[in-house]
Amino acid sequence: MASFGWKRKIGEKVSKVTSQQFEEEAADVVKKEDIDWIHATKRKKEVLLEDNITKSKRLREEGIALAQNARHLEAIKVWDSAIHLTPEDASLYEMKSQDFHTTVMCLAAGAARELRTSCLIVALMCLDEKFHAVQTAETAVQRDPHFVEAWQTLGRAQLGLGEITMAIRSFQVGLHLCPTNSELREEDLTWALRLFQQKKGAVKTEERKKDCRGINEELEIIPDYDFESDEVVAACAAISQRQVASANNTGIVVSASGLVTNAEQKKNDSSDSNTEMFIKAR
Amino acid sequence: MTALHSLNSISDLDHPYLDDYSVILDVVPCTGLFLTYFLICCIPKSYHVSFCFFISAHDDAIWSVGWGKNANDGSELVISGSLDDLVKVWKWADERLELQWSLEGHQLGVVSVDVSASGNILASSSLDAHIRLWDLDSGKQIRSIDAGPVDAWSVAFSPDSQHLATGSHVGKVNIFGVETGKKEFSLDTRGKFILSNAYSPDGKYLASGAIDGIINIFDIATGKLLHTLEGHAMPIRSLTFSPDSQLLVTASDDGYIKIYDVQHASLAATLSGHGSWVLNVAFSPDDAHFVSSSSDKSVKVWDVATRTCVHTFLDHQDQVWGVQYNRNGSKIVSVGDDQEIHIYDCPI
Repeated sequence: MASFGWKRKIGEKVSKVTSQQFEEEAADVVKKEDIDWIHATKRKKEVLLEDNITKSKRLREEGIALAQNARHLEAIKVWDSAIHLTPEDASLYEMKSQDFHTTVMCLAAGAARELRTSCLIVALMCLDEKFHAVQTAETAVQRDPHFVEAWQTLGRAQLGLGEITMAIRSFQVGLHLCPTNSELREEDLTWALRLFQQKKGAVKTEERKKDCRGINEELEIIPDYDFESDEVVAACAAISQRQVASANNTGIVVSASGLVTNAEQKKNDSSDSNTEMFIKAR
Repeated sequence: MTALHSLNSISDLDHPYLDDYSVILDVVPCTGLFLTYFLICCIPKSYHVSFCFFISAHDDAIWSVGWGKNANDGSELVISGSLDDLVKVWKWADERLELQWSLEGHQLGVVSVDVSASGNILASSSLDAHIRLWDLDSGKQIRSIDAGPVDAWSVAFSPDSQHLATGSHVGKVNIFGVETGKKEFSLDTRGKFILSNAYSPDGKYLASGAIDGIINIFDIATGKLLHTLEGHAMPIRSLTFSPDSQLLVTASDDGYIKIYDVQHASLAATLSGHGSWVLNVAFSPDDAHFVSSSSDKSVKVWDVATRTCVHTFLDHQDQVWGVQYNRNGSKIVSVGDDQEIHIYDCPI
């Protein structure tokens, strides 16, 4: 005798066509590209007919919505497809840097600006991509030097990388633009300054310790880094870039006529010195 | 009417961005007398300003500049305050700048500097709200004043160099005694954070500009608030009186410069031309020109009578935070985020 079960009953009552249709729809939902993340519904057919610029704009906003819900990886993917749709937008940034990844970040930073929140940078920080977060924030403040929140985020990202003095500088620039930003003054800057003091204290005790130990022992203190690892390479590249940048900035007194030639020379030198610095940093 | 039309075209040539013709029409009611007056004013005067000298002065952005003249030996000093926490004193001699003192002491970026009328005391304020007074003859710090957590921004000496005014975050202008280093009295605007303030050269008025764009003018003798002007909707980063104390020029983040008649508290002109925030303004001692600097990397020299831009300099590579005339009006100095000090020649 057949045993009683819901499963069987449902199977009998539901027509095959209906269940197949249901399964198909379910499969569609799984395809992430077809979901409108703002309204959390399945995208309508006519939406697909929109032109690239509108679609890219919509994708940007969807990315922001995703990032706000802490779905950072998906957000970056959505922004990525936005870039594909409007390459003319991206080419602007590519002139500055050939790095495609940065391009994604730039576009996203632009999107974030519209909302006056630095969603992407926050997203990147959450994903522990601190280095990219700094890069993105730097591009954001370059594009709009009056964007106080971007300076704040840059400072926070730099703090994440352990660059305390640079973070303090970013917070100061932000505060100079908007002195009434109490969060920046009371939380970020105060915190960074406290860290700076602690670091100073730590360095001093370290030096004292070093004095006590012999020179031979000192060599052992240096930890054994994996010099080929990606992080170290990236960090070295950053250090060399920064040094090149600062080298370019410290032109002392140049006469008005000599200015042009000097600037050209610097450009030529920079590629050489870049590699030099890179090696030095390592 | 044809004459009026030609007027407009003249101003078009001088200043392509001037969209506010109401200014011109205000000044020129359709009477022949005023028209001739205005036409005379409109003829460009020979005021040729030229770029003269520049020096890379600090390791980071320069936010403030001052120009002083020592009353005793007549030497001219340029003072620059920077994000690198330093105040540098430069001696202007033989058409070049020489570093005289590098003043250390501020813990955070230097927001504002001012030199006393006698040219021997320097006041500087930094982001940590400390005001420091320095002796320019010896390069030593005279005293440090802790103004309170957020209570010091731009500093301004009174014309008699006895007092020092600075704004606070609760909308008060605090006035410190230079000799005592103590807060002697405060003027309440009942407004927001005060970003800028200026004494009138005759010592009668004190004007303050707030972060919400409100300008207040006080009578110093009575301490009364004379006028409140709602000129701008955005922060006022700088304001300056004309040498005859009749006009007040304000610079705001909205990109406009406004000229006010101090006596009647009326708007005399609105000047457009900068493409971004106007960060600083300074009046020329000749009473006929003033200079402005902006985030759009430009320095502009303006003619007061015609309300037109006489000259635009695009020598800076980044935002220009500070600009000043020297005491006799023969030089202009400007500083900016590109860490450079620029000097320009002006006819006297």
